[in-house]
Amino acid sequence: MGTENPGRPNFPMRPSSTPFASALPTMTPFSSRGPMVGSEASNIRPIPPGAPPTMTPFSSAGSSPPTRFSDPSVPSPPITSVPSAGGPFQQYPTPPFPSTVQTTPTRAPPVGQPPFQPPANQISAPPVSFRPQSQVPPVPMVSAPQTVNFPPSSLNVPQPPSESLFSGPRPNFQPTLPPPDLSYSTTKSTFQPPFPAYPSKQPAVSQVPSPFPAQQGSFMPPPPASSSPFSSQQGSYVPPPPIAAPLGYQSRDQMQHPGSAPPIGGIQTLTEDFSSLSLASMPGSIEPGLDYRTLPRPLDGDVEPSSFVEMYPMNCDPRYLRLTTSAIPNSQSLVSRWHLPLGAVVCPLAEAPEGEEVPVINFASTGIIRCRRCRTYVNPYVTFTDAGRKWRCNICSLLNDVPGEYFANLDATGRRIDLDQRPELIKGSVEFVAPTEYMVRPPMPPLYFFLIDVSISAVRSGMIEVVAQTVRSCLDELPGFPRTQIGFITFDSTIHFYNMKSSLMQPQMMVVSDLDDIFVPLPDDLLVNLSESRNVVETFLDSLPSMFQDNVNVESAFGPALKAAFMVMSQLGGKLLIFQNTLPSLGVGRLKLRGDDLRVYGTDKEHILRLPEDPFYKQMAADLTKYQIGVNVYAFSDKYTDIASLGTLAKYTGGQVYYYPSFQSGIHGEKLRHELARDLTRETAWEAVMRIRCGKGIRFTSYHGNFMLRSTDLLALPAVDCDKAYAMQLSLEETLLTTQTVYFQVALLYTASCGERRIRVHTAAAAIVTDLGEMYRQADTGAIVSLFCRLAIEKTLTNKLDDARNSLQVRIVKALREYRNLYAVQHRLGARMIYPESLKFLCLYGLALSKSVPLKGGYADAQLDERCAAGFTMMALPVKKLLKLLYPSLIRIDESLLKPSAQADDFKNIMKRLPLVAESLDSRGLYIYDDGFRFIIWFGRMLSPDIAGNLLGPDFAAELSRVTLHQHDNEMSRRLMGMLKKLRESDPSYYQLSYLVRQGEQPREGLLLLVNLLEDQMGGTSGYVDWIMQIHRQVQQNA
Amino acid sequence: MGNLFGWLVTFFLLITLLAIISYQLMCFADLEFDYINPYDSAARINMVVMPEFVIQAVFCLVSLMTGHSFMCFLSLPYLYYNFRSYKRRRHLIDVAEIYNQLNWEKKQRLMKLGYLIILLVIFIFWLLWTVGNDDY
Repeated sequence: MGTENPGRPNFPMRPSSTPFASALPTMTPFSSRGPMVGSEASNIRPIPPGAPPTMTPFSSAGSSPPTRFSDPSVPSPPITSVPSAGGPFQQYPTPPFPSTVQTTPTRAPPVGQPPFQPPANQISAPPVSFRPQSQVPPVPMVSAPQTVNFPPSSLNVPQPPSESLFSGPRPNFQPTLPPPDLSYSTTKSTFQPPFPAYPSKQPAVSQVPSPFPAQQGSFMPPPPASSSPFSSQQGSYVPPPPIAAPLGYQSRDQMQHPGSAPPIGGIQTLTEDFSSLSLASMPGSIEPGLDYRTLPRPLDGDVEPSSFVEMYPMNCDPRYLRLTTSAIPNSQSLVSRWHLPLGAVVCPLAEAPEGEEVPVINFASTGIIRCRRCRTYVNPYVTFTDAGRKWRCNICSLLNDVPGEYFANLDATGRRIDLDQRPELIKGSVEFVAPTEYMVRPPMPPLYFFLIDVSISAVRSGMIEVVAQTVRSCLDELPGFPRTQIGFITFDSTIHFYNMKSSLMQPQMMVVSDLDDIFVPLPDDLLVNLSESRNVVETFLDSLPSMFQDNVNVESAFGPALKAAFMVMSQLGGKLLIFQNTLPSLGVGRLKLRGDDLRVYGTDKEHILRLPEDPFYKQMAADLTKYQIGVNVYAFSDKYTDIASLGTLAKYTGGQVYYYPSFQSGIHGEKLRHELARDLTRETAWEAVMRIRCGKGIRFTSYHGNFMLRSTDLLALPAVDCDKAYAMQLSLEETLLTTQTVYFQVALLYTASCGERRIRVHTAAAAIVTDLGEMYRQADTGAIVSLFCRLAIEKTLTNKLDDARNSLQVRIVKALREYRNLYAVQHRLGARMIYPESLKFLCLYGLALSKSVPLKGGYADAQLDERCAAGFTMMALPVKKLLKLLYPSLIRIDESLLKPSAQADDFKNIMKRLPLVAESLDSRGLYIYDDGFRFIIWFGRMLSPDIAGNLLGPDFAAELSRVTLHQHDNEMSRRLMGMLKKLRESDPSYYQLSYLVRQGEQPREGLLLLVNLLEDQMGGTSGYVDWIMQIHRQVQQNA
Repeated sequence: MGNLFGWLVTFFLLITLLAIISYQLMCFADLEFDYINPYDSAARINMVVMPEFVIQAVFCLVSLMTGHSFMCFLSLPYLYYNFRSYKRRRHLIDVAEIYNQLNWEKKQRLMKLGYLIILLVIFIFWLLWTVGNDDY
């Protein structure tokens, strides 16, 4: 096989401009290879042809390099060891090689190739030459593998000097062959996420090891041909480590007990143990030996760990509850060695896809079944005993009586016979209808109260008009008809109340100008039932924009107006929507301009700018929560509005902050319209409290998110909806946990919009482990990043930004170091960086986090308001949305726009995400950058004028900052709009406004897009490669 | 006689301080065990924070005036600490964050308590000592 240079023909390089595209194609090649492995080396060649049509343009380029490289590497192993045994070589080695190739190709490619291609025998010398480059440490491990497959005879084969090191272990390897396979395949499968197309079932891998050595040593900077190295990378990063690990292991084993084959199972687990990146630099080159294309990237978005549900099928879905690791440590010492956050992220009302809605159960007269002692709700993990008369609580293991009405006999296996009629005993997520004991007052009606700034800047921006129209259009869809209540206050330097009594024809406006002593001019009728006063409300909303269109008042009596709204609402609670356009300037809670003094930045006082200035806001927030009022803040100003202070209101009332800097209704109107409509119409849980219970010995100690704690473990949430998530950390109370399993139960007690009091219960179980490696293996990057994000943002409120970033980095480093120490003894890790497969994106997300708006750079990198608003938003985001915001998708769309028959079904195919590096952008392409909050559509400089003309119509030559995207009468434009619509539908919680930008249009391009290509180096911040190097260096210090 | 009066005043001030600190600690304990809600708890604690500071300042002043400059000297760190937290507006409990601050606030008050007890012990010894000396 060595002789063939399949890769070559294909090799013709494409212009390097679009290396990445190749990635896709490469995957396919792999798949094709998989099956073919058995055959001959030839398998590899086919690749190019095999590549799927879609990728075609690049496929050739992309695929070819890998193949080529891989070839060399593949053959090499056999060569070295095998020379003598020609027969074995062909049978065994060949098949395996292809597979290996795929995995490891990148590393050694350039170097290895030349030497190896010649027939095996001759090769021995070349390897030598090439070794030197390699790092010494890895070699030993590798060597064993190489030899493994070959019959003892091979031992005798003269090995290049370098190899001599390993000679001992070789003979023993034969038996082990099968195991390697297994391991190999497993590794691959793990590997898969990044490359969906990659077939996990690979034929024999036994030789895998062999290629490895070559690679390790040889690990080269990106192959010269780099144009489409991507394929190679794939293989390169993940696979090598696993392989290496097992190998190393085996070799050791064998040395100890020659002749005995290591147990297969062991190998398998070992292979799965970790992933690694080789960071050795090539001698003589300054470049780090790390190819950015080989780095792991979450191009498939967030992948929920499957182990959580697999191990305990009755667990609630991970969209409701995610643990940072689904293996809970059993001792304090283990916790202290797990340097990542230990906890959970809960999104109690996450939107369930059609058909998976949470079942509602009404126990009626029975009352809700709960444990007497710990108050746990009945759940799938409780066990029934004593012929069904008792049940044992899974959390505190107390034996409870089963109430008469709930009694059912047990069958022979101890299961209740009525199990299938009891969703609460099969499903991890259920909703109970709560009887009156769960109410302190009659369930409140859904209540929306609007506090609208009508000062001159609000009028000018057009905000009032958009708000009035949107609210009016949503009146029909407000939840809870016919009980819904509604009310309005407007304010500038005075406060205007509106009497909306149903008997009136028109709303009556009452003006209160005494700001020091606020009073409510009418006892009721300021807050009215929507269905009764519908006409008045509509009249009011119709006339609202015109009422104030000539207002020239620049003041804002926000504080007093807030107090007034509080007084009106305090009877019932509800949702308060604040529309604020200027800095509060009158009365209590007035704020002053902050952040102008540049000298404060970078000092110990910097964080004060991110804290509410006036204690009024915190106090007010606490009072609002007490009276079940949730606040959503909509801020519009183009100047400083002190979001830090205003946002506090949302933070402690479970609300959220929407920030539209420099709002102009013409530009941002659509976004406000959509987001306000969603805010008003999404299913909302009112006057809610949430508690999470867990088994004996562990306890949730800190909570992070937008809410207020009402007691040590009770979250007060005046209004919750599906877009809010809460994070919490747990700690061990006992030094040693003796149970096998620990259970978590989230209970959210709330009033549904229909007026029913309900309890939503999510139950999950997790295993308790004694092994640190297991904890890392079952880690959930999404949950960890979510917790990290919240901790870091909280840290910016008391420390400098730098400190927050550093502490984040330190924790990542510590975790990786601890992990490295786990394996450092067993395996010679050399200069490789190792990490658990489950955490392969951790470094990247860590980087993304430190470049995210709340944390990035210094004062100049983000406006203070923007920073604070982003901080408040990210504190509430569910995991998936957070990850998307941290690593947004970049999609090339010009090809799919051109394709004649792009149908809806291949939407998924079109939406291939690209790495966020400048190299991903081809100047002939059209790209969408989507971070979940906005779209940035990037027009390459050399994009065909056809496309631009079709999409932009006559504006296509104009400056794009003034152009808005709307549909033109041609297929391409329609298709683009359809695509955007689909993207928006897939993520409805925010509206993504499209920003158009043309390549080279500075500074807009830089601000909008380039700064967000987070893998690139950008003014003082490190790129992905540097970041990895940096982390790796720190991991190795005192390792 | 005036001397004795001075002793008595400082003694009672010290006792009052001790009582205030213990009261705050009790409120924290209640809060932790969920006997009272954070709103009441914060209100109760905040109500006595300023009196505590004032009494402490008065204590320093009185001990200085009655010639116990050593006592005054001993309580200066406490005074400075109070002053500093007042300047930073950290002296009051924040209802919204009360649970996050609970540990630190409790620790701080326990330290104060210990500090005051040590002060009290020294004070009593000193009092007995001077009383003994007066006899001669």
